Amino acid sequence: MTTEQSLLAVVAENALERPTVLLVEDEVLIRLMLADELRSQGLQVLEASNADEALTVLQSSLPVHLLFTDIRMPGRMDGVALAKVAHARFPQIKSIIGSSGRPEQSIDFADAFLAKPYDLRELADQVRRLLDRLEHDH
Amino acid sequence: MTTSQEGSAKAGETVLVVEDDILLRLSIAAYLRDCGYRVIEAADADEAVLVLEQPDLEVDILFSDVEMPGAMDGFGLAQWTRANRPGLDIILAGSVPRAVNAAATLCEEGTVPKPYEPQAVHDRIRRLLAARPPRPPKDAPSKD
Repeated sequence: MTTEQSLLAVVAENALERPTVLLVEDEVLIRLMLADELRSQGLQVLEASNADEALTVLQSSLPVHLLFTDIRMPGRMDGVALAKVAHARFPQIKSIIGSSGRPEQSIDFADAFLAKPYDLRELADQVRRLLDRLEHDH
Repeated sequence: MTTSQEGSAKAGETVLVVEDDILLRLSIAAYLRDCGYRVIEAADADEAVLVLEQPDLEVDILFSDVEMPGAMDGFGLAQWTRANRPGLDIILAGSVPRAVNAAATLCEEGTVPKPYEPQAVHDRIRRLLAARPPRPPKDAPSKD
C-alpha cells in the first residue's frame, strides 16, 4: 500500500477482490449478526442503519454488488421504497428484501425475499446465488 | 523464556465504532478491519448502548464521535460506558481530522500495520463528505 491510498480506497479496493453487500437494517444486533455471517463468507459488508444512509452509500463512488434491506425501518423511506430506487437507478445491483411477513406491496423487482427470523444459512445461500448470477451476467 | 507478544498484543481486539456519518463510519470501520481489528458499527449512542449491554459481546475499545444526534452524545456515551462497562479504552473523536488520526494511531498499533498517510486519509474523507447530499438542519422536525 502506498501513502497515497486512504480509508475510502480501502473499501473500493476491497470491492475489487470481494463482492460488496450493502446491508440495511435498523436493529443493530440483527445487523451485526447478518454482517458477521456475510463477512465470514468472504464478502465485504457496508452497514447502513436506515434507507437514507443506504442512499448516501449508493450515491457515493463506492461499488455495491448486492443490496440486502429490511422492510420496516424508521425514516422517510422503507426497505421496499429503497430497493425500488436502487433498482431504478442502479439496475446492475442485485437485491434481497427481508421482512417478518410478506409485504403488501409488490416486490417483483427484487431478486429474492427472505423471511424473518433470518436463517443465516439461507441468507448466505441466497447471497451467493445472486452474486454468482451477477458474475455470470458479466 | 516467554515469547514476546508485544507486536501482536492487539490480535482479536474489538473496536466499537460509533459515528452517525455513514461514509466516515464505514471508512473507519473498513480501515480498522484491514488493520486486524474486529469492528462493530453503531450509528448512534443508542445503538452503541444496545451493543454494550450484551454481556456476550466483547468490546475492548469504544471509538466514538462526540457530536451525534439523539438523546446522548459522545460525552454522554463515554460517561455511560465508564459506569457500565469499566475497563474499556475510550477514544472520542471530535472532528474528522481527529477521527482519522485516532484511527491511524490504532492502526499503527494493530496486527497488520500499514503505512497509510493520515493526511491523505483525511483529504480523501473530506472530499467524500463534501460530495455527500446536504444534511437537514439539526433542529428540523422528524421525518417520521
